[in-house]
Amino acid sequence: MKSEKLKGNLDMLLLAVLAAGPGHGYSIITRLRERSDGAFDLPEGTVYPALHRLEAAGLLDSSWEVVAGRKRRMYRLTAAGQESLAEEARQWRAFTGSIAMVLGG
Amino acid sequence: MRFIGWRFGSGASEVHRGVDPAGAPVEEYLDRLLLTLSGSPRQVRHTLAEVEAHLHDAVAEETAAGKSRPEAEAAAVARIGSVCDVTGRRSAFGRPMAALLRRTALAGSLIGGVGLVAVGVSGAIARALAAMRGGSFVTAPFPPGSYTRADCARWLAGNPAAHNCVTAMIADHLGDIALQSYAAGIVGLLALTAYWIMRRRWHDRGTLTALPVGSAEAAGGLLALLVAIGTLGTGINAELVQRGQGAGQQFSLALAAVAAAMFFAIRLYGAVRSRRVDPVPHVAS
Repeated sequence: MKSEKLKGNLDMLLLAVLAAGPGHGYSIITRLRERSDGAFDLPEGTVYPALHRLEAAGLLDSSWEVVAGRKRRMYRLTAAGQESLAEEARQWRAFTGSIAMVLGG
Repeated sequence: MRFIGWRFGSGASEVHRGVDPAGAPVEEYLDRLLLTLSGSPRQVRHTLAEVEAHLHDAVAEETAAGKSRPEAEAAAVARIGSVCDVTGRRSAFGRPMAALLRRTALAGSLIGGVGLVAVGVSGAIARALAAMRGGSFVTAPFPPGSYTRADCARWLAGNPAAHNCVTAMIADHLGDIALQSYAAGIVGLLALTAYWIMRRRWHDRGTLTALPVGSAEAAGGLLALLVAIGTLGTGINAELVQRGQGAGQQFSLALAAVAAAMFFAIRLYGAVRSRRVDPVPHVAS
């Protein structure tokens, strides 16, 4: 998938990945790649400005934890993040449904 | 997420021996990232630690997939993308020299601003000296024959209270000195305002860039000291050779330069002292 289209929806995708459980940057990008079966393949570093932005917006929380002997910043969804994800998912389904109707699918 | 590198043991054993499995390409990437990141020291430190851990995981995964260490390091750096991808900024200031450019702009606006304000202050000092010792003490009149009747008429028209051409000339020169000095002072205040705004926006501290803490203050203080010595010498020369005519302007500049040097010295002392109390935090490993 073209990276420009993906970047516009990256926030929603990150929230969706973290809805399944907390994770650090590397695990988040890996889970995103796995769940999309390789379709979503951005430069891995792009998750960090998005994660920091979501945390600044109150949609994520983070804390430093030791994982496999190394300090990592673990992100988790807040209540506001869950609400935001639910709303964005609803809007996305409505949008894609409308597109599908126009395309005759 | 399981860390395949640890399971297969290659990365883990090298770490156990104290060898960093990530190697030079990762270190170089982190160096570039450190110079590019902006924000508070804590934000920079945390982002750096996150990316370092990410790269180590990527190297371990690539190594476990069969790549040699150099190949794994290169692959890990390629996977994470450019430093602009991590910082999220696409402007020209996303390049690794951004921090040095920011520090140069900050230093230039601080030194230039203080210097121009000092010039403005020297204008006020020159006014005071002219009041105490006469206008010719501050600015020497032009030599006879070097100006025309038209010049005299212009000076007298601008200074009706003057009794003769030389007095009017000196008054006119004093007015020019004051105007130029005060204009420089206003520009200096604008430069210092720009410095304050940039510093609040960029949050840079000398420890995060190529220049050490207090470098701008040290450079500014040295420059001010040199100006003070130079103008004092010129003023003394005017006092001895020209019987004091024109010495006042040099003395006023020297006094203002000394004040600027003291300002920089106080800031330098404060910067060095705060660094001793609060040393640079180490990046989390």
